[in-house]
Amino acid sequence: MIGKNRRKLITASAVIAAGSMLLAAAPAQALEQGITTSSIKLGITIPMTGIASPGYSKIPGAMKAYFDYVNANGGVNGRKITLVVKDDQYIPTLAVAKANELIFKDKVFALIGTLGTASTKAISRSLQLSARGIPSLFVNTGYSGFADKKLYPTSFSILPSYQMEAKVIGKYLDENFAGKKVGLIYQDDDFGVDALNGFKQAGVDFAVKIPYASGSQGVAGVAGTWITKLQAAAPDVVVLFGVSSATAAALGNAYAYKYAPKWILGSVGGDATTLTANKVPAAFLAGSKGLSFAPAPSDSTDPYIAMFMDVNEKYNKNAPFDNNIVAGMTSAFLAVQAIKAAGPNLTRKSLIAAIEKSSATFANPALTPLGFSSTSHVGATGYWIGTYDATGSLKPDGGKYTVYTTDSGTGAVVVSTYKRPAMPAKGLPN
Amino acid sequence: MFQLLNTVLIGITAGSIYSLMAIAMVLVWRSTRVVNFAQAGMALLSTYFGYEIIHMSGSYWLALPIAMLAGAAVAAAIELIFMRLLLKHSSQGAIASIAPIIATLGLLGLIKSIIGYFWGNQDVTIDSPFSNVGFTLGSHTLALSPMKLFILLAVVFLTLVLSLIFQKTNLGLALRASAYSPEISRLAGIKVDLVRTFGWSLAGAAGGAAGMLQTANGNGTLSPDSLEFSLLLAFGFIAAVIGGLDSLIGAVLGALLLGLVLAFVLTYVGGSLVFITAFVLLLVVLLIRPGGIISQKAGRRA
Amino acid sequence: MHKVKASNLTRLIGFVLLGLVLFFVSNRVDELRVYQGASVAMYVVAISSIILLTGYSGQVSLGHGALLAVGGYGAALVRNEFNAPVWLCFAAAVLLAALWGALLGATAARLSGPYLAGTTLALAVGLPSIANQFKFLGGEQGLIFDIGLPPASLGEFFSQYKWFFWIAALTALIAMWWLQNLLRSRYGRTWRAVRSQSVAAELAGINLARSKILAFTVSAGLAGLAGALLSMSISTVSPGAFPLSLSFALATGAVLSGVTTLGGVIIGAVTLVAIPEVADTLTQSIGASENVIANLPGLMVSGLLIVAVLFVPNGPVEQLKHRQKR
Repeated sequence: MIGKNRRKLITASAVIAAGSMLLAAAPAQALEQGITTSSIKLGITIPMTGIASPGYSKIPGAMKAYFDYVNANGGVNGRKITLVVKDDQYIPTLAVAKANELIFKDKVFALIGTLGTASTKAISRSLQLSARGIPSLFVNTGYSGFADKKLYPTSFSILPSYQMEAKVIGKYLDENFAGKKVGLIYQDDDFGVDALNGFKQAGVDFAVKIPYASGSQGVAGVAGTWITKLQAAAPDVVVLFGVSSATAAALGNAYAYKYAPKWILGSVGGDATTLTANKVPAAFLAGSKGLSFAPAPSDSTDPYIAMFMDVNEKYNKNAPFDNNIVAGMTSAFLAVQAIKAAGPNLTRKSLIAAIEKSSATFANPALTPLGFSSTSHVGATGYWIGTYDATGSLKPDGGKYTVYTTDSGTGAVVVSTYKRPAMPAKGLPN
Repeated sequence: MFQLLNTVLIGITAGSIYSLMAIAMVLVWRSTRVVNFAQAGMALLSTYFGYEIIHMSGSYWLALPIAMLAGAAVAAAIELIFMRLLLKHSSQGAIASIAPIIATLGLLGLIKSIIGYFWGNQDVTIDSPFSNVGFTLGSHTLALSPMKLFILLAVVFLTLVLSLIFQKTNLGLALRASAYSPEISRLAGIKVDLVRTFGWSLAGAAGGAAGMLQTANGNGTLSPDSLEFSLLLAFGFIAAVIGGLDSLIGAVLGALLLGLVLAFVLTYVGGSLVFITAFVLLLVVLLIRPGGIISQKAGRRA
Repeated sequence: MHKVKASNLTRLIGFVLLGLVLFFVSNRVDELRVYQGASVAMYVVAISSIILLTGYSGQVSLGHGALLAVGGYGAALVRNEFNAPVWLCFAAAVLLAALWGALLGATAARLSGPYLAGTTLALAVGLPSIANQFKFLGGEQGLIFDIGLPPASLGEFFSQYKWFFWIAALTALIAMWWLQNLLRSRYGRTWRAVRSQSVAAELAGINLARSKILAFTVSAGLAGLAGALLSMSISTVSPGAFPLSLSFALATGAVLSGVTTLGGVIIGAVTLVAIPEVADTLTQSIGASENVIANLPGLMVSGLLIVAVLFVPNGPVEQLKHRQKR
């Protein structure tokens, strides 16, 4: 028994000793972790494999492409940006483990673009990002809680909150479908609950509300029951507020049952490329309404989209250009703007201060004002509403983006007069 | 009234999809007493073969049999190379109850990684050979499309053919005998190893059919981590357990029961109760009949 | 293994020594390693829970993640509602999970092999949506489980992760010591008898069902403890943290450890924690293509698992002993 314990002991100490040898001896440095005079290291953990990976796994590639483009043109303030990518499979435990590796082993300067509410929350709490002062840039979740600067002082979200989105949809319903019967399909967790709050504030009264359990949209038959329920209640317009696979399942089954109300697709599930890849006929999608805060990926007249397309072709092996690519490049673009604004004496503190202080002057593709300030860490603050055309592209109504803005509280929804800053030459900093 | 009819149709067509996977699980269980979680991986891999054939030839009808053959070949190879070694090495001790399950989970991961390497992690699709739009009845559209009807018929056909093989042929007898008692079967001159390999390849072919049909159905897509496939695996297994793992008919009955109960609960009780309903149904059935609906004798031992 | 009788005292001394070594080591390694150390301790408890169930009582669980979740939620609720001290949260986790385990075990005792596997699998599949049904469980984003900062007396530079590690390691050591004693007691002998010779055991007057239910209950209690440790290390508890893949990973860990010996448990635990990082390092150093990077970790885990089941089916520790005996 003693012998066994001793063996266990030896194993344990050997493992830990081996572990400690892996540690690179950190040289004494005046600069903060992850930066030198010529480089900046950022890290992202995101589902690259697993059920949540299709679509989202394209985001890091898009970010890298834009960083490479900037690096090839001299970097930001003379620094070149590298991005370390880790796969968290959309599992919070793994996300924390990977974020730990990023910070303590890869020694990144800041995190960028973590995805999912549960993962982002776990990372922020467990790693004590705020106590350590580690910036977590442009997290990919619309959970309104991250706007709370007191709880998450170093985290910045880029998406408008689900609540804002619901309020904007509510305003649109009120303006265009007053007195009509409205239906809703939503995910039965925070994603949906946040939205329900927003709809309530907007005073939307649903004739039928259909919740679904996250993941159940892939179970044979489930989406079929949504449509029979909708058919029974016969609403004139139906809001689909779910993830892509659920939106696709709802539309696919509606097509099969020849059920065609007016559809309004939430931004999370409204990526036309993903929907048509999931066999939703573009012709069936045509005429539906959709929301976005960035210009449509098909809008090559937009200078940002044109530049992103160009970067995508040269630095991203011309991956199919969709919302995910636009989202990745938008985050990367904003990060570069923030790093530039923080100046040559870059520190974690100065980066956060720069975003809080001068985000209004940051060039960026978003068509809504950025809400970053010393009191709020929410990025985009609204949406424009458009119509899917016969090829499945979301196009602004009347050929021009009408942007609605609001907040995650009780504020009204108003048409924005915001004019975004002009894109710097070639989309490069400096 | 019409909603009721469509709910029944949804339950039956969904059940027919679960039963494809349930049948494959039962086939392997009957021939080797292994719960085969690699089934989903094997089905995925053969569907990717089918996808490539469609890519080259454009014909679903060529791809379907080839995918089934590929499934049979993959399954036979796994049984030959892998399961035989496994049974030889870990047939004793506590590990015997868990090793085969764990090993097939390992295989599932291996196959997924290999698929991810060759085909990437993005969704691909297969076009349906039949329309996915439902038949019309008067002014109503039924929750039954030509494609779903085809799947239903395929399940009936598969069940009939496989049942005939098992009940009426010497091969079927050998299959049943070698699963029941390998030692006695050997004494009776049955080539147990060969028979087992055959059982696996039958399951592989059934899995290939399941993948090809499921992917062509409705919004079905194909990716190494396809949500549909992991759920198909879980629900197929649950259906097989409900039905009683030893019976093909039981697997189909279990799947239909699961499909119908889910459709009714979702429509008339609560939209988000899918997984809880599956668990409760399984629990209730097993509490009443610990060996599933069609169990040959109580207190079966694995 | 059970031929060598060591006195309780020597065993206790062994555990205390191990604890001391871990204590000294924890002062010498960086944050990532102490964090991983805490994860190893969590896996040690979780895997031994499976070993107890499968290796000793012959039952199969594919849904142990669900029991971890029960423990995690229990601990977080007690912490958040009553501001209870950590040890009380852990005790609550154990009790709550054991209660569930008793209920599940009562069902399980009637079921054999694959039927039990199916039931536990369905539980693990169904669990996340249960959390979404009840508001007090916090939905998809779950609950915060914040055990607070390390005591000020440990010094200003004592990090949170080191604190996690101390708690996790101490908990694991105590749990292991207790389990060792339990398995050497009458109960342990009964379980082994039931597993290997159930008919004979029944003839000898052992109540099979009661013995199995007891094993399930104890195993669930340990799983609950592991769940509390897991939730502590990620400071939150949410349905997504207990996916089916966690249940499978635990079963994998048990096989890598050797399902019948507690001695190998640390090997399984270390492997589970190390593989993703090793795979990452490997892919980065060889500069592989995107498809390789994405799929290599999965390939390594699966490959290792298959090799383990094929060639060291009873675990490395058992294998070594076997060889020595020869």
